[in-house]
Amino acid sequence: MLTLNNVEVMYSDVILAVKGITLTVNKGQCVTLVGGNGAGKSTTLKAISNVIGPEDGRVTSGTILFGDRRIDNREPSQIVAAGIVHVMEGRKVLRHLTVDQNLLVGGHMERSGREVRRRLESMYELIPRLAQLKTRTAGYLSGGEQQLLVIGRAMMANPELIMIDEPSLGLAPLAIEEVFNLLSHLKQNGITLLLVEQNSSAALSIADYGYVMENGRIVLEGTSDELRNNEDVREFYLGLNVEGERKSYREIKHYKRRKRWLG
Amino acid sequence: MGEFLNYTVNGALIGLTYALVAMGFVVIYRASKVFNLAQGELVVLGGFIVWLMMIQLDLPLIIGLPIAFLCAGIFGFLIDRIFFSRMAGQSVFAMVMVTIGLMILLRGVVLVAFGAQVRQFPAVFPVFPVIWGDFLIPQAMLYGGVITVCVALGLAWFFNRTRAGLRMTAVAEDHQVAMSLGISVRRSVIIAWIMGSMLATLGAIIFLSNRSISFITSEIGLLALPVALLAGLESIAGLILAGILIGIVQGLAAGYLDPALGASVSSVLPFVIMLMILFIRPTGMFGWKTIERV
Repeated sequence: MLTLNNVEVMYSDVILAVKGITLTVNKGQCVTLVGGNGAGKSTTLKAISNVIGPEDGRVTSGTILFGDRRIDNREPSQIVAAGIVHVMEGRKVLRHLTVDQNLLVGGHMERSGREVRRRLESMYELIPRLAQLKTRTAGYLSGGEQQLLVIGRAMMANPELIMIDEPSLGLAPLAIEEVFNLLSHLKQNGITLLLVEQNSSAALSIADYGYVMENGRIVLEGTSDELRNNEDVREFYLGLNVEGERKSYREIKHYKRRKRWLG
Repeated sequence: MGEFLNYTVNGALIGLTYALVAMGFVVIYRASKVFNLAQGELVVLGGFIVWLMMIQLDLPLIIGLPIAFLCAGIFGFLIDRIFFSRMAGQSVFAMVMVTIGLMILLRGVVLVAFGAQVRQFPAVFPVFPVIWGDFLIPQAMLYGGVITVCVALGLAWFFNRTRAGLRMTAVAEDHQVAMSLGISVRRSVIIAWIMGSMLATLGAIIFLSNRSISFITSEIGLLALPVALLAGLESIAGLILAGILIGIVQGLAAGYLDPALGASVSSVLPFVIMLMILFIRPTGMFGWKTIERV
């Protein structure tokens, strides 16, 4: 469904943030990109949706295919029209608009008002919490509510693929659970997901396949079970030791072993 | 008492004209984050186009005005394409410098095309004032007040209720988020410049009806500035209240303080009020406050 072939992304014609990555997201799958800060995960999503223009970034090499169509460096509106919506990091609600208006903006490409209202109603059925907050200003919602809202807003575009960047960032455990329950529900309903997450444990719990990114490169890939059982992923991203127990802070601080993929 | 009410009502109506010109500032700022210091020059340019259509070409009102609005829209489109489409992502300082350059350029264009002479602007509204008891109100101001309120309500409805308006509001909030939702920021900014230019022309028609026009008329942009900043640069409906407030204060000052002090206090007072309120509320009375979860 979505294929990245040897994609490079550069900022300001100087900083190579993504260094030739290749990945595939199949229809109906949930694929996750995990990795530390600065690995290039968010940049990869921005390159796909082509919202890196304001940050002076662009895809300089490689191809991005959605189905059979090349979408690299296309207008963001064309990419959304093709069926890809990007839920950006940081719960980017339209702060001064109400929940209702936020959702309506999400469905702005649909010309039929009746269809937009139908989607709005089904969104309120899917996320009943939002129905109770219809008239509230989005900027004053809790973090969890804002995250549900931006996912709901993306759904209003009736996408085939949703790319979600760090949905658990800064949320309380209960809110994270609620957000991931919603993502699981979307996946069960046939929505394809590309999930970027630093909370690797949560991401691998719903993903079918995962890629580990470091320094702009994909260093490891596999099914979520394979990644969960990989010794390096367990140690560096899940914070577990060989016996499967939580590593102590002292162990993390003083680890000496290099990751295998660094040779 | 009658005198006081006359100053108050006339002041409020003039304030509504300022609000109409200020709407041009706000519409352009919301979409592009450009504070267009050349808005006064757009009013003059729009005014001269109306003058050209109705006085020089002697076209009837019903043909001359639509053509003038069309020309204003085209000017707005060209200004965006020539100057601001290349400036996307530049600093606020750079944008402000471009608007200053635009201001000087437009003033030059007006001087070259229409000369420095003072011209008689056509009487678009009936000339005789309305007299209700003690009230004496110029009809242009009365019609202008009603038109301004209608335009403000229409724009508020457009930005909050319609699909195209919500797109522009999303752009006003955050360009990158708007892009991620498939909204064309470029198109929204172009529409905003077209609307801003047309609002400037409407402001010219109301403000200048049966008065004179010259390149100095662009000072109305300066008079509209306190209204825009007082209301807050994102609020359309707030402009009405801010316009009435500034207009009444200016009207009363012109009626009582100017003759008493022998000085033009009325021309300074709006800016003093603007500064006082901005000290207390930097975003103006109805501007968007930064909502930040901590």
